[in-house]
Amino acid sequence: MPSTLEKIRILGENSKYDICASTASSRTEKYPGLFGDPKKTIGNTVSAGICHSYTPDGRCMSLFKTLYTNKCIYNCKYCFSHSCKHKVSFTPEEYARTFMKLYSMNVVEGVFISSAICGSADQTTEEMLEAIRLLRFKYNFGGYIHFKCLPGVSQSLLKDAISMSDRISINSEASTKEFLSEIAEQKDFYNDIITRQRWLKQIRIKHNEEALKAMNDLKADNKLEEQEKMIKERRSDGYKKFRWDGAPILNCGQTTQFVVGAAEEETDLDLLKRIDWGYRKIDLRRAYFSSFIPIKGTPLGSKQAAPLEREHRLYQSDWLMRIYHFKLKDLEGVVTEEGNLPKGDPKIHLAKEYFKHHKRVNPNEASYQELLRVPGIGPISAKRIINLRTQKFVFKRRQDLRAVGVVLKRADPYILIDGHSQTTLHHFSNEDYMETQIKEFYC
Amino acid sequence: MTKKRDPLEVIGCAKGYSHEELIKNIHRHSRYSPEIERQIITIPEAILRNSGTQMAKKINKMMREVFTEAYRAKQFTRTEINNRGVLFGIVSLKHNVLDLVLVYFHERWPQCVICLYNEQTRETWIIDEKGAIRQFHQPLKKVVENISRDRRIVPYFEDIQFSGEEIFETLYKSQFIAERENKQYFKKMIPDCCFELPGMKNGVEKRFRNKKINEFL
Repeated sequence: MPSTLEKIRILGENSKYDICASTASSRTEKYPGLFGDPKKTIGNTVSAGICHSYTPDGRCMSLFKTLYTNKCIYNCKYCFSHSCKHKVSFTPEEYARTFMKLYSMNVVEGVFISSAICGSADQTTEEMLEAIRLLRFKYNFGGYIHFKCLPGVSQSLLKDAISMSDRISINSEASTKEFLSEIAEQKDFYNDIITRQRWLKQIRIKHNEEALKAMNDLKADNKLEEQEKMIKERRSDGYKKFRWDGAPILNCGQTTQFVVGAAEEETDLDLLKRIDWGYRKIDLRRAYFSSFIPIKGTPLGSKQAAPLEREHRLYQSDWLMRIYHFKLKDLEGVVTEEGNLPKGDPKIHLAKEYFKHHKRVNPNEASYQELLRVPGIGPISAKRIINLRTQKFVFKRRQDLRAVGVVLKRADPYILIDGHSQTTLHHFSNEDYMETQIKEFYC
Repeated sequence: MTKKRDPLEVIGCAKGYSHEELIKNIHRHSRYSPEIERQIITIPEAILRNSGTQMAKKINKMMREVFTEAYRAKQFTRTEINNRGVLFGIVSLKHNVLDLVLVYFHERWPQCVICLYNEQTRETWIIDEKGAIRQFHQPLKKVVENISRDRRIVPYFEDIQFSGEEIFETLYKSQFIAERENKQYFKKMIPDCCFELPGMKNGVEKRFRNKKINEFL
């Protein structure tokens, strides 16, 4: 019988490619009594985002991230469990106790529970739920729980998982059915993954609407309408208008993860199309990308690793769609013929494309969306600029922009201040520009 | 009706501090003087928020130092809990932020008494279940013993009375992906100064790196 330490070593290593970042949750602030009297529960998610450790690759290690079991009925070609000879499982009590010990040492902030599929998805999920139940109701843990939903799990178990978790996720792994069957032929893309993602959205919305109506304190404060608006309202492109809607359950929403570069012909555009669909149709909160790393002993063990830079570009593009409200159509305009993102910051590529047909931006006149087009200006500095303009502040110097947080070395080629633009190195390679400058000088 | 915003208000993580926040917290800094407080009152808030003058810049730097120290303590203080619900640990704080750290732990463990010993001042501060803070000029061990004496054993704290250090070390090692090793990024996330904190002096993070070199040699 393997010891708990041995299980942590094996199952922790098996889960290291699963990505999770956030421990933020607005739950406790608005709904303190969700898991009982807050004075009697352990853990808090209000001041979340604190990381207690970092691995030597610089990644934050704030969650107790292990698999529940690595005994798996699937044979995914990229997966660690495929090659691992030692098959072990936690027991619910062992899992809960180990986590509580680590939490009491202040080395982790919450739980990330994932698993291989032992027997059936429902059987394994039942056991995972038992561990979560022990945490919530025996050890009174009220902190952050990220539950990894297994492909093909039944709707009733999904409801249970939602009611006890802060965030839930189902790994898509690939962008389409064809690409998924290439790397994990036993998984059914539409039935096991897409259908479950749709269920998550439906269950969450239905439950939250009912819960909001039952909340007397919100009725009394006339906040109900506002809350419902936050849950339902959408941007013109179909994305959710409010990322954190303060919903009573699962308020960190659902996420997903892709293995980048495992399927032979999968392009960045395919992945971007899938996450765009996710934001519009299933209220995806965010997507994670994990560059494919070959693992010895797996069918893809001899395949070349995907460059980490590709993962980085995908995160940048995702950020542009989600936070900057760029449309997929914009990004389609900059991808290469093969359908991948070009080298370099996607926002700079987008700006180069956009400013071919548009004039430079004058910060004293430009709209919020136009300002966001400029590299070096993000949502915060754009808001500051608009905010200052409404108070009749005029930007006359580059330093004024620097003061509000604009990165001038990036923004310079695209902005016009007081009718002038800053000369950049790019101008010196432009012959027409140099000619006019020389003429002006001699005149 | 929406609240009218100060046009120079910085939004997001770099939003700066209001007059009120500054006056309330500047005294926490180890180099605080009443003169600084007088300066805060005279400087307009917009200038303070945007570090518009040298003095404003200095004040903001002082505030940042205070809150960074509190944040580091919340991150890297390693604690233990006994079967009577007393959570204890050691911190090393230059500035007067121990109450902020205690409140953080109190929110996480509301039914426990939290005891933190500050190496710099050699004092033990405690926060009880009701949120009342007291300080003792006694070593941590003695304070923990005194408090535990009157408290009954709590079953679910009794359940977790085993050593967790090896568990954390195993978990920490298991999460490392060699292909992604990035020393610079790691250093940015845990700067060298953090390894001087009591919880990190002999921390798993440091041992792990050292072991690797030894094994190589």
